[in-house]
Amino acid sequence: MWSLDQPYILRAEPLLAGTPLALLAVLAVGAGASAVLVGLQVAPPLVLQIAGVTAGHGALLVTALAWSGVRSSSCVVAVALLALAATAAAVVPLGAGAYLLPAFWVLWLAVRGRLAALGLGTPIPPQGLIAGALVGAGLSAHLLLSASRTLGVETRIDHVPDVLAAMAYDVGANVLAAECFFRGALFQRSQRRWSFAAAAAVATVAYVARYVVDPLLPKTVELVIGAVFYLALLGVINCWLVWRYESQVPGLVSALVFFAAYRTLGAG
Amino acid sequence: MSIVVAALVAVTVLVALEGAGPAALSRHLYLAPVIVAALHFGAPGGALAAAAAVLLSAPFVLPEIERAGLTTEAIEGLVTFGVVVLVGVLSGVLRARAGRHRRRYELLVTIQRALADEAALDVALGRLRAALASRLRVDAVAIVGRDGERLVVAGGDRVAEGSLAARVLESGEAIFVGDTGGDGRARRAFATPLMSGGHAVGVLAVERKGEISLTERATLEAVGAHVGIALENARLVSRQRRFADELAQRVAEARRELEELDRAKSAFVAIASHELRTPLTALQGFSEILAVRRLPPEEVARLASVMRREAKRLGRIVSDLLDLSRIERGLEPALCRIPVKIDAVIQATAEIFRQGSATHLIMTECEPALPIVEADPDALERVLTNLISNAIKYSPTGSTVCVGARAAAEGVAIEVADAGRGIPAESLSRVFEPYYRVPDAAGAARGTGIGLAVVKALVEAHGGTVHVESAPALGTCVTVVLPPAASLTPRAARV
Repeated sequence: MWSLDQPYILRAEPLLAGTPLALLAVLAVGAGASAVLVGLQVAPPLVLQIAGVTAGHGALLVTALAWSGVRSSSCVVAVALLALAATAAAVVPLGAGAYLLPAFWVLWLAVRGRLAALGLGTPIPPQGLIAGALVGAGLSAHLLLSASRTLGVETRIDHVPDVLAAMAYDVGANVLAAECFFRGALFQRSQRRWSFAAAAAVATVAYVARYVVDPLLPKTVELVIGAVFYLALLGVINCWLVWRYESQVPGLVSALVFFAAYRTLGAG
Repeated sequence: MSIVVAALVAVTVLVALEGAGPAALSRHLYLAPVIVAALHFGAPGGALAAAAAVLLSAPFVLPEIERAGLTTEAIEGLVTFGVVVLVGVLSGVLRARAGRHRRRYELLVTIQRALADEAALDVALGRLRAALASRLRVDAVAIVGRDGERLVVAGGDRVAEGSLAARVLESGEAIFVGDTGGDGRARRAFATPLMSGGHAVGVLAVERKGEISLTERATLEAVGAHVGIALENARLVSRQRRFADELAQRVAEARRELEELDRAKSAFVAIASHELRTPLTALQGFSEILAVRRLPPEEVARLASVMRREAKRLGRIVSDLLDLSRIERGLEPALCRIPVKIDAVIQATAEIFRQGSATHLIMTECEPALPIVEADPDALERVLTNLISNAIKYSPTGSTVCVGARAAAEGVAIEVADAGRGIPAESLSRVFEPYYRVPDAAGAARGTGIGLAVVKALVEAHGGTVHVESAPALGTCVTVVLPPAASLTPRAARV
């Protein structure tokens, strides 16, 4: 028993220890430079879109990977694949499929046991998968129902390629990066310092804030309130799923299902 | 859980079928599954069920607000939201609080039961740990108790230096560790001292992969205090019983000794009376003969010699009795010490015995140039007289009694050896006790049982030592060691 036979040492590691500051700085500089170039009309707006996606999701993903002890080179590979996918998606109509590349890279790292700290590559209880799917389905159903009833937003399943591209983006960038960072890294670190409630609050507030400041979110009041409402619920529930099943996969499933439903809406 | 979900869905269907929007009467039915969830699953259950109810009823309320603003119906719907959430949370909190109190009470009863029987500390701790493990719903629980300098551990092998339990035991303060290491859900540890009389008499440590809430920690601290007192009480009861047993044993031993002493004294009185009467009778008889008869001078001389011998014997017995009396009062024999040559005293005493007894051969063997000792000559003579007369009494007629002296590291050693029957090993340690007589020797020769006790007291009053060695059927050798004049102890020098 740890209390009897292991030395009791107070751990004073800071919450943000291990953050890849150099890589984050490179991403920030890249995004800033793109913005300047596009502002000066030296580069097309497409460049800013690619840099923004790469910097935004890349920052979250590489921070999560670095916090779990992955080598810097693997983090660089993840950013490079994200940049490649963003470029492909911006240039070629079916290029969004390239977003599966960062997902496969993360999967490969997880299979090799390097992401156990993030809750990836660990055993996945079937009940966790079912719970994640049910949570995603429940929130999706509520979203679709309330959105169609209150906002009059209709689904757009007639634009299947767009929906699939958005789903690929969620799989390889949006959901993957957000879940890895906010649940796999931030929540996991927080729950080692504070209670579940405090850790879930920290992770969820940061998660919601990330989407509220996202330039891709339409800035109508209804959509912002709706986003805060659903993302807060999704955030808290995913924290609980990670806590309960000690795996990030149920949370990934719930988030992917929810975002899939969101992508079918006209607003997505 | 499924019943609650089904009930929530059923109420939603009812509200939808009623078609009255946010003011549908059936919306109040949401309270039922919310209360059930709160009563079953506590505050989280109540809050979740309330949130689910709000989510399910939102599509009926929000469109109304969207369409017509805050109408009476919409406000009713919003109030219902609030009431459902309030009832769910409050019911859950109250239920959780009641549950906590019940569990705490049951826990205390469990502890009482575990420690009700008197048992050794390790057994009591093991029993207590098993009871707590089944009640506390934690992954691991250990109890450490102090047993003097030793630590008794239930739930582990030992308490490592620098561990959480060791730290708590040392500081007497409870410590919570939010993360003990490893991936996944944090494994928390909490250790609280078992307090008794302001001191940590042990540690209660629990570990769980998950939360150990503030309330649980407070409960564990209270349990720690309770267990500490209970353990201390158990320890005191055990100690009291042990003391009582020891006391009874000592009383029994003392009683046995007193009874034995009483028997010895009774025997002594009988023997002493006889020992006193014998010379007195001789003195009385011979003095009457001398008073009433006219006897030839040789016969008068012989009778006078017998009377002198019996008077000396009487005097020796009286002296021994007086010394014994002083010893029993805790006083040392009165001595008048002067420098004495041991070999001269030995020769003189042996000569007296040679003249008085023709039954034994008295041999003396003294090393030349023995150190001078500072001693009371009269006491020294009584020591030698007692030892030689004992040797004569308990050795067969015609045997030799050897009296010798030699220089020893501690001073001068005087040895009186005989070829008698010897002393049994079990009696050797008791021969210097007053009134004690070796059982099978009591019938072999006359004696009061105080001679060796007086010898020991006299020798020790000189700062010396006396010990006896004996081999059954081979003989006995008593050795008296007296310090030389230069190394007299201050205490002895004062006498």
